[in-house]
Amino acid sequence: MAPFVQVMREADINKVYDEQFNDRRDRREARSRRDAPEKKRKLKQKLFDRGMGIDLPFLLIVLVLLIIGMIMMFSASFPNAYYNKHDSYYFIKRQLLFAVIGLAAMIGISFFNYNKLHKLAIPGMAVAWGLLVLVLIIPSPDGVKRWIGIGSFNVQPSEIAKLAIILFLAHWGSMFYDKMQYAKYSVLPGIVIFGITAVLLIAEPHYSGIVITGILIVVMLYVSGMKVKYLLIGAALLAVLIAVAWVTGILTYAMQRMDGWGQALVYTSSENTEMWNATWQTRNSLYAIGSGGLFGLGLGNSRQKYLYLPESQNDFVFAIVCEEIGYIGAMIILLIFALLVWRGITLSLRSKDRFGKLLGIGLSSQIGIQVVLNILVITDWLPNTGISLPFFSYGGSSLIMLLAQMGLILSISRTANIEKQ
Amino acid sequence: MAKNREKNPQKGRLQLLRFRTTILILVILIVGFGAVAVRLFYLQLIQGPELQELAVDQQLVDTKLTAKRGTIYDCNGKILAQSASVWQVVIAPAYIETDEQREYIAKNLSKILDLDYDNVLEKVKQDSYYVIVKRKIESDEREKILKFSEKLSDKYTKLSNVITLFDDYKRYYPYNKLASSVIGFTGMDDQGLEGVEYKYDDYLTGTPGRIITARNANQTDMPFQYEQNVDAKDGDSIKLTIDETIQSIAEKYMEQGVIDNDVKNRGVCIIMDVNTAAIKAMVTTDGYDLNSPYELSEDTLNDIAQLPKKKRAEAESAALGKKWRNKAIADTYYPGSVFKMCTASMGLNEGTISDNSTFYCAGSVTIYDHTISCHDTDGHGTQTLFQAITNSCNPAFIAIGDSLGPERFYKYYQAFGFSEPTGIDLPGESDDLFFNEDGSMSETDLAVASFGQNFSITPIQMVTACAAVANGGKVLQPYVVSSITDADGNVVRTTDSMVKRQVISTEVSRQMCDYLERNTAAGGMNNGYIAGYRVGGKTGTSEKLTDSEGSEDYIASFCGFAPADKPQVACLVFFDTPKGDFYYGSQVSAPVFVNIMSEVLPYLEVQAEYSEDEKQYVDTIAGSYVGLTTDKAKEQAESDGFTVTVKGEGKKVVSQIPSAASKIPTGGNVVLYTDEASKKEKVTVPSLVGYSVSTVNSIASSYGLNVSISGVSSSASSVSTSQSIAEGEQVDEGTVISVEFGGSTVVHD
Repeated sequence: MAPFVQVMREADINKVYDEQFNDRRDRREARSRRDAPEKKRKLKQKLFDRGMGIDLPFLLIVLVLLIIGMIMMFSASFPNAYYNKHDSYYFIKRQLLFAVIGLAAMIGISFFNYNKLHKLAIPGMAVAWGLLVLVLIIPSPDGVKRWIGIGSFNVQPSEIAKLAIILFLAHWGSMFYDKMQYAKYSVLPGIVIFGITAVLLIAEPHYSGIVITGILIVVMLYVSGMKVKYLLIGAALLAVLIAVAWVTGILTYAMQRMDGWGQALVYTSSENTEMWNATWQTRNSLYAIGSGGLFGLGLGNSRQKYLYLPESQNDFVFAIVCEEIGYIGAMIILLIFALLVWRGITLSLRSKDRFGKLLGIGLSSQIGIQVVLNILVITDWLPNTGISLPFFSYGGSSLIMLLAQMGLILSISRTANIEKQ
Repeated sequence: MAKNREKNPQKGRLQLLRFRTTILILVILIVGFGAVAVRLFYLQLIQGPELQELAVDQQLVDTKLTAKRGTIYDCNGKILAQSASVWQVVIAPAYIETDEQREYIAKNLSKILDLDYDNVLEKVKQDSYYVIVKRKIESDEREKILKFSEKLSDKYTKLSNVITLFDDYKRYYPYNKLASSVIGFTGMDDQGLEGVEYKYDDYLTGTPGRIITARNANQTDMPFQYEQNVDAKDGDSIKLTIDETIQSIAEKYMEQGVIDNDVKNRGVCIIMDVNTAAIKAMVTTDGYDLNSPYELSEDTLNDIAQLPKKKRAEAESAALGKKWRNKAIADTYYPGSVFKMCTASMGLNEGTISDNSTFYCAGSVTIYDHTISCHDTDGHGTQTLFQAITNSCNPAFIAIGDSLGPERFYKYYQAFGFSEPTGIDLPGESDDLFFNEDGSMSETDLAVASFGQNFSITPIQMVTACAAVANGGKVLQPYVVSSITDADGNVVRTTDSMVKRQVISTEVSRQMCDYLERNTAAGGMNNGYIAGYRVGGKTGTSEKLTDSEGSEDYIASFCGFAPADKPQVACLVFFDTPKGDFYYGSQVSAPVFVNIMSEVLPYLEVQAEYSEDEKQYVDTIAGSYVGLTTDKAKEQAESDGFTVTVKGEGKKVVSQIPSAASKIPTGGNVVLYTDEASKKEKVTVPSLVGYSVSTVNSIASSYGLNVSISGVSSSASSVSTSQSIAEGEQVDEGTVISVEFGGSTVVHD
């Protein structure tokens, strides 16, 4: 694997920015030795400095989403917490703790020179696959293997895999920016990475994870410069595959196997109890969304959260959001998400190096893609298999990881804002 | 671009990145977020109401609270129909955990409720929170269920909620068969199916209450959600115009009339207040027990059992339909001679006839090629109007009809209310059947219509018209419900008598009352005469349209009112197809009318006024003389107006005949027994039919028997027509035998 060796050698492509970070660190070290007046002047530059500071609008959007998400998660979770944990605050208390840890991580990482992540691209990918294998080995009570428990802390290896893929492809794209038009440099690694990851995810099973992985790989390769021709060939192949599956009836069968995907309102409890139960969560999600109407039942007034929608604090939290604050509320939240994606991508584009650009675009896109896929899952357009809604869904490891990724984008924003000075 | 890229590949690649990123943003935000926005728009705003309904369906539990159905009273407040509390046993088998528990519960429930074990076990196995095990259980079963439920929760603490008893109601009819065709009955769900129960179902039902609770998916109440209670509003109570006492009297004699005359197709009796048209009694014989309306008599069941299997269900429902049918309003018949009271009223009101008119009857009349004969084929000769009525002379009434002409006849026909339903507040009233729908009629039609043939009306129409003749000419709307009261005792509705129109003048009405009163007096028992009372009325015998030619079926009817000088009640007695010895209205229906009115008029506190002749036939109530010393008893009986025969040698009276409180003619024979041995003597009943009153009295007294005489009028020579105890029977001395008298000439109309 010659190219990887090359990676090490050509690390100096981003030397300028490294130097800037090094410079800042040097200055910080120097500052601590210097006297008060000078300290005062430099402190001003520290967090929200226009030159080297983080992107304030992006941070604001992240905080707004985090707060709204926490409130809605609390509202959606308390009946479940009350009945099953005998403590209405069970989930929100934990989520608050994770949010604090995550915010600390975000701020910390925003000071980190993301260029050092070049070195982590390959090991990262290896670790992610390792965890995906590990998760299959660890016994699970219900046959679904998506989590690795570390104490009371659960980690979803697919979350790490997504970050690893973005990181690796950003690295790859910045290394071979001039060769990305060749299939060997774009299609081949794409297929290899997707292939390995997909096989491991099918075994979990985690179908929506496969979908999100595939989309992320396509996005990364596309912006890196892969020829549109390959994209079109891939899309055509996919279309043919779906058409064949549809015609042969495999699609319907598959949909049925995937907990009655797309069939939430088809079954009745008396005629097909098995499928009725399989589609229970999605059906009740649709009931909740439909109940909201234009203005919703009012914050806290969801009825579906009273155990009708199981695990309403997790992937299906947005169904309760729709029920409580209606279509208007849902659209406002979508708008804020859209702002986050737009701001994240545009600020990344201003980054001085290709690695930063690709990394930022990848991380920002991931938020957008995940929002879209999550809502398509809860509205029964995608199979119901574990895509959480960023900032909203309960889950410690994913929230901390999410905020850490936001920290990375903020770190990228520091270099992006230099030019403005 | 391409060129640019070649010149400066670095810059070209940067532009490509920018371009593709822009595309990416557009794809994510427009395609991705757009799809999401559209999908949510569809689900929340277009499919929203439907989804919300489905959601609410599972979230809300709607428990129905049964409202108590209103009570039906007679006019004196006696309860004719009432709902009593019963219970519904409902289980929530979803709480049950083990098969052992299921079997235990099924075993006990099936034992207590007398149900099939396997059936109950199947219900207990269901995964549901609401399964009805048995409906309408009574309090003794309820007690047992409550005890078992307690035992169950002692044994398995988790199962305390499995058995629930819900309030329910069951309909009871304390008088069983009484007025069955009027009251009607209710179905399993408390809905009225016939009669007043059906007609006034909306009032009687009340409004069921509801408890709507929001439940979570575990079916326990949500801690922070609402519960909405709507109390059940009990149904309104209904007071009928029917008087239980009068109804009972009428039913008693009507049933007897059906038996005596071998009536094949049921009898009808309607008693109406002539001034308000309130129905006091409405009888259709062979009524049914309202507490078990679906039970057929054994005879009917045997008949059905002989039919081929396929036809049985149909025959069964036909039999039930016939049993439930209120003949008094649902069946039509030719009124026959009874209708002559209307024809005469028309002529008098129009002035085409008067008291001075004379009519000649040669025994038959020929209209075109139809010869219509009078029932007296020898002819009645020249008659006055009154005589024509009393003779029930058909040619005379054909002449009255002719004097009116078809237009005026039909105008009065309409005015008397025959052309439309009376509007009585009961379900199933039929229309009349006139010659032509537009009211036109040929000369022959008019001729036969004048004496009540060839057009069909309902009994209720006839009695309403009779009431109009009697009450001064007012056609009223008959009704059976006098008032409706809600559960709190507020009067919701009262029925006022409704005058539809004045059909004849008060003078004509008075004149008709006079004629009809004299008519009954002339005919004795056979014309409805009742001693002491001024009764007006008319007999009628009409041929029935029958399928098979030549079969002669008749309807015997009598319609009258009392008192004739100030009419209070009208009464129609009607027997369809009597197959006994007689079929004339005068022989079949008039005596029943007399019997009914003889009891009804005193009950209505109409003062009896006896003429000197009549006084000798007035009965006296025998006192109780048992236990007294012989001398004292004799003294007391004689002072009560009886002649006394003492039998035996004892010092004290041990028994008496007739027994205390029975009716004996004034001056009748009371036998007092003073020892047991003396009681063995018996008397053979002689024939008392075909004699005058004095002969009957002398025969009876020679045998030591008493006779109770009815139907004798002072203005006509009477002949005894029947005796209550048959000739040749062995009876005790002093026994009272009822003897009925009729006019010496029976009107065969």
